[in-house]
Order: sequence, then C-alpha cells, then structure tokens
Amino acid sequence: MSSIQIQNVTKRFGDFTAVDNISIDIEEGEFVALLGPSGCGKTTTMNMIAGLEDATEGAILFDNQDLGHVRMQDRNIGFVFQNYAIFTHLSVYKNLSYGLEVKKVGKSEIERRVKAMADRMSISHRLDQPASSLSVNEMQKLAIGRSAIVEPRIFLLDEPLSNLDAGFRAYMRAELKVLQHEFGQTMIYVTHDQIEAMSLADKIAIIDQGKLMQYGAPLDIYNDPQNRFVANFVGSPRMNLVDGELREEQGALRLMLHGGAEIRLDGQVKTAFTSDAKVHSGSFGIRPQDIYFGEKRADNDIRMQGKVEVLERVGPKRLAYLQVQETMFLAFDDQAQLRVGDDVPFYLPSGASMAFDLESGRRLGGQ
Amino acid sequence: MTDQTLTDTTGNADTMGYWQKVARDGPRMGFWFVLPTLLLLLFIVVFPLLMQLYLSFTWWTPLEGIPWYQAWEVFNWGENYWFMITDPRFWGALWRTVLIMIVAVPAQFFLGMALAYLFIDKFPGRKIFYSIMLTPMMIVPAVVGLMFFLLFQGTGPVNDHLGLPAEFSWLTDVNRAMISVIIADIWQWTPLMFLILLAGMLGVPSDQLLAAKLLGGSNWQNFVKIILPRMKTVIIIALVLRAVECFKIFDLVFIMTKGGPGVQTETISVFLYKQTFGDLEWAYVATIGLSILIALSILAVKGLSYMAKK
Ligand SMILES: Nc1ncnc2c1ncn2[C@@H]1O[C@H](COP(=O)(O)OP(=O)(O)O)[C@@H](O)[C@H]1O
Ligand SMILES: [Mg+2]
Repeated sequence: MSSIQIQNVTKRFGDFTAVDNISIDIEEGEFVALLGPSGCGKTTTMNMIAGLEDATEGAILFDNQDLGHVRMQDRNIGFVFQNYAIFTHLSVYKNLSYGLEVKKVGKSEIERRVKAMADRMSISHRLDQPASSLSVNEMQKLAIGRSAIVEPRIFLLDEPLSNLDAGFRAYMRAELKVLQHEFGQTMIYVTHDQIEAMSLADKIAIIDQGKLMQYGAPLDIYNDPQNRFVANFVGSPRMNLVDGELREEQGALRLMLHGGAEIRLDGQVKTAFTSDAKVHSGSFGIRPQDIYFGEKRADNDIRMQGKVEVLERVGPKRLAYLQVQETMFLAFDDQAQLRVGDDVPFYLPSGASMAFDLESGRRLGGQ
Repeated sequence: MTDQTLTDTTGNADTMGYWQKVARDGPRMGFWFVLPTLLLLLFIVVFPLLMQLYLSFTWWTPLEGIPWYQAWEVFNWGENYWFMITDPRFWGALWRTVLIMIVAVPAQFFLGMALAYLFIDKFPGRKIFYSIMLTPMMIVPAVVGLMFFLLFQGTGPVNDHLGLPAEFSWLTDVNRAMISVIIADIWQWTPLMFLILLAGMLGVPSDQLLAAKLLGGSNWQNFVKIILPRMKTVIIIALVLRAVECFKIFDLVFIMTKGGPGVQTETISVFLYKQTFGDLEWAYVATIGLSILIALSILAVKGLSYMAKK
C-alpha cells in the first residue's frame, strides 16, 4: 500500500499537450477516480503513474519516493487495462499464476493463492480452461484477480467497466467497492462515467483537456463545483446552466439570457455575481432538484415563468422541461401537478444557485 | 444412394456433408470462375510430374535417339531408384544439403529472432536500419555468390582483415569451402527470417506484453512465456520455408565453388545440374528430383500439420 503524489505533471506528444500540469495527492488506501470526457488525458495520466510512459515535466512519487529509475517490472503496480490484456494463449490458471511464477514463488504457494483468488473472483470452475474462452464479464474478473494476486502497492484500473453490459456493470461496481475494502489497497480508477465515479470513489479528480478541474470528495464536488465545467459534468440530470450578460439598473441586477429571457438576481447568488466587478457575462447554475413550484418559500428566491414542454418519467418522479423564451430549464415536478402546455411559475432558490464567470468558467463567490 | 442420404438428413444443412450440399445446390458460381485456371494449373503442374515419373522408370537420355514419349522402349523397372539409393555421390550431395540446412537455418533463426526483438521497440533510425537489414535478401543470389567469391579470395578482404596469408584459401579448402557457403547463405537469408519473425512478433498484442511486465516478468520470462508461444505458427512457417529452400541452394554454391573442391560443396541442386548438363542423365535426374520432392512434401506437411494441431 502506498501514497502517491502527482506533482505538476505534464505530458506532451509533440506539440499536443495531453496532460497539463496536474497535481494530485493520493493518500494510502484511498480510492480515487480520474473522471473526464473521452480524450481528456485519463489514460495518459494512468500510464505515467504506472511508468508505461514518462512525464514530460513533473514527478510522480510513491511514498515520497521517485520511481523514475526503477524498472517497470520492479514497481509492483497492479494495472487493469481498458481491454483487460488477458493472456489468451494461456489457461485461466496460468493467467492468475503469471505474476507469482515470474517471481519464483513456490509451487504449492502458487496453487493455494491461485485457488483462493479464483474463489474470490468466482471463476474457479474455469481454472483449467483457455482464457480465450471466457466471457467479457469473466475476463474482467480475471484481469482484476491476476493483478490483485501479486498484492501490488497500488492498483490502477483503466475504464474497467466500460465494456460490460449494464446489469453486470452495476454488479461489478458494487464488487469493486467491496474488493477495494478487502484489499485495503490504494486504487486509482479511470472512468468517463460520473455516476460510477460518484458512487465508488473516496475522491474524484475531474480532468478536462488535460487540466485538473477539481479534486475532492464526491459530495464536495457535487455541492460545491469550482467551475462551470465541473458543475456541468457532475450530477444527473445535469445542472441547469444558463448564460447571459449581467445588467445593473437602479440597484437591480439582472442576467439577460442569450435566449431572450432574464433572471432577476437576488440574495446570495446576486452577491456572488457582484463579488467580481470585472465580470460582465455570467453563467447561472441551478440543479433540477432545487427548483420548486407552488408557493414561494423564501424572500429572495427568484421567480420565473415558463411553459411545460415535455414531462419525462425518471424513476418515480417526473422531469419537466420548462421553456422560458428560448431557454430551457429542467426541474422535477415535485407537486406532481404539471401538465404539458401549462404556463407555470417556478422558483430558483437563491441559496442553491451558483454563479460562474462565463469567460473563465470560474465559480464566483463560492464558499 | 445419394437420394437416400439426402432424405435421411431431411435437408438439414448443419448435418449435411459438403458434397451433399453441392448435390443439392449445384456448384457455387465461383467454381466456374476458377475452373479455367484450375485446368491450366493442372496441366502445368501435373503434366511435368507425370512425365518425370514416367521417365524415371526408363534408361532414356537425350542421346538415346528416340523421343521422350517413346522412352518405354528402354523401361528399366525402377533400376534408377536402386541406383540412386546406392549412389554415394547422391548421398553426399544430400548430406551436404542437409548440413547447410541444419547449420544455416538455426543460425538464421536465432539471428533473425534476436534482431526482430531489437526492432519491436522504437528507436531513432529504426526505419533506416530496417531497410539496410533487408537488403541482403533483395540481392540476386548469383550476385551474393559473386560477392562472397570475391570476399573469400586468398588475397581478398576477409583474409586481409583477419591478417591471414593469401595461401590460406577458403573456397578451395576441403572444410572451409563449406563454411564459406554457409556464411554466405546465412548472410543472405537471415533478413527473410528477421522479416517473418518481426511480423509475428509485432502481432503479439503490446498491452499483453505490458501487462506481463507490470506483473513483474523479466524481459526474458515474458519473451519465453508470452512472445514465443504466440509466435509458434509464424516460427514453424519460417522454419519450414527456409528448410525447404535450402534444397534449392544453387547460385551461391555454383558461383563460389562450383561444388568443389571435388564434390566437397556439391549440394543436391548442383549435383542435379551436373547430371543434367554434364552427364545428360535425364532419367536419373528425374528420379532424384521426384524423390526429393516427395521427401520434402512429407517434411513440409508434417511440419504444417504439427502447427495446425496446436
Ligand atoms: N502516443 C500518443 N501520441 C499522440 N497523442 C496521444 C498519444 N496518446 C494519447 N494521445 C492523445 O492524448 C489525448 C488524451 O488521450 P487519453 O489519455 O488516451 O484520453 P482518455 O483516456 O481520457 O480518453 C488524446 O487526444 C489522444 O489523442
Ligand atoms: Mg482512455
């Protein structure tokens, strides 16, 4: 088990910067997710941690120790590849035993550990079969078991669940959490699926175009996104983010939305928008579950009026698409009384609303 | 009978044999497309073989004064085969061919494998080295023969470099002539081995190699346990190909030593050449040619079926 410090790491391929000055501290035994859209540099970051690729700049320390001079095979890093990289010419048993055999572990010891791991991953009945005959789901388990059996100092998983079918993915997600607990291992986990990251990780590093956008516990990131990208990326359904120009008239501050509508800012979110006088265009954010209908609940909540375009069932609730001029707001129909075509008032609670600078994407007036 | 089997299987395509399906559906359209070529090939391949078989059972030579198709007049009941089995010159030539094979092919294999292993990683100048590496096999074998003929002259560059006197001869020495020929063959054909093995090696998924490395396997362990087993097919193809080609070795030997000194470097091909154009023993040549063909076919089929089994 190791702690990992990623210090100002940059990776360039020619002129292209795949990873841009990323720093992440990972404590011993932590489960960290690297989250970001496809092509943002997650795999590249993982490869650098594993030593498959060298950082152009910066350093990666394990227990405060630079492994730059240590050969890849001596780093003792568990790595589960995106496509598993199962040795398809070997049996399941030989796959599991590979990491032990090359270290010249005794035969009976190997047998004991392989059996135990196969049991743990519930692939015992497959041990003698060629690995190429396994289903994708079983390959996934084998890939994890093969890495886990050598008790690596850290465990890296690159999109381990993205090839699985939906049912097994949900199962494996729970399974991974249990495994991480059992192994007590420092784990880094790459995914582009924010739900996966939110439900599994102790901490999430959100990456966009090679840059670290935010690093923190899932709930902190959810409740307190530091920029527009994170606000937009995390949460399902997505946060309403509407862009416009700030206009001040007779002490009233309004956000003139690009779609023609306007938001009369009030309360905390107004303070947030005014916290930086240089900001002229902003982005207003509110999560669908924070919008409410019916009676106004607090003085400085912001009243809007919109037409119900679509009602969509999401589990037991209904998601309403509210059209305000050219702008669409998503909100949960908390009173279960909306009908398509209704022109209804709804409220944006000022305390739950977020303000972003449209140009830099930076959160304004955050805690 | 055919009707019977057809009704037995009640037209279930899975349990039907190939010919049953053809009987039901008629030959596939592609069959008519390849038919002309097939007939032509049959003529080109089968006709000379039959002719060879026919001649090998006669005393016929072009000096006989009768056309080859009348060779039955000198039919000799397989005496050529008996003569071959008891001909020390034949066995000598065969042994020397096999000797070249068992020395040169493994040497080419190990060198080719080592070079291929160097080339799976990217390094500066890889493309240039790659092109240079492949040059020898592009050169016409006769030219390679000439090159090594010049290199191994008593006053040639080899002796010069090794500081050996001009009397230290390579090509006219009983043992060293063979060594020279083998060296030339290794030089020319290692690149082919390298090329085939590199293709096979690049076919080994790189992420599996990385996985093996990350699991702690040393380069050698990963080579033996991951790369080699995955290359088995390619290795067998390369070895069979080169082994069979050894029997064709002619240009090198003919230009470097003419099979000499004496018959010290006479290979099967050179021997056949001498029999054909020197002694005009065409029926005997047919006998040997056919026998070698059969032996090699068995060898190749055995090798390839071993491969198919794995
Ligand atoms: N070896 C490479 N050479 C050039 N560009 C690369 C290389 N590897 C990755 N990239 C680029 O770096 C970016 C990040 O890639 P990657 O880390 O694989 O993204 P992710 O895993 O987040 O989908 C991509 O735009 C990709 O095209
Ligand atoms: Mg990736």
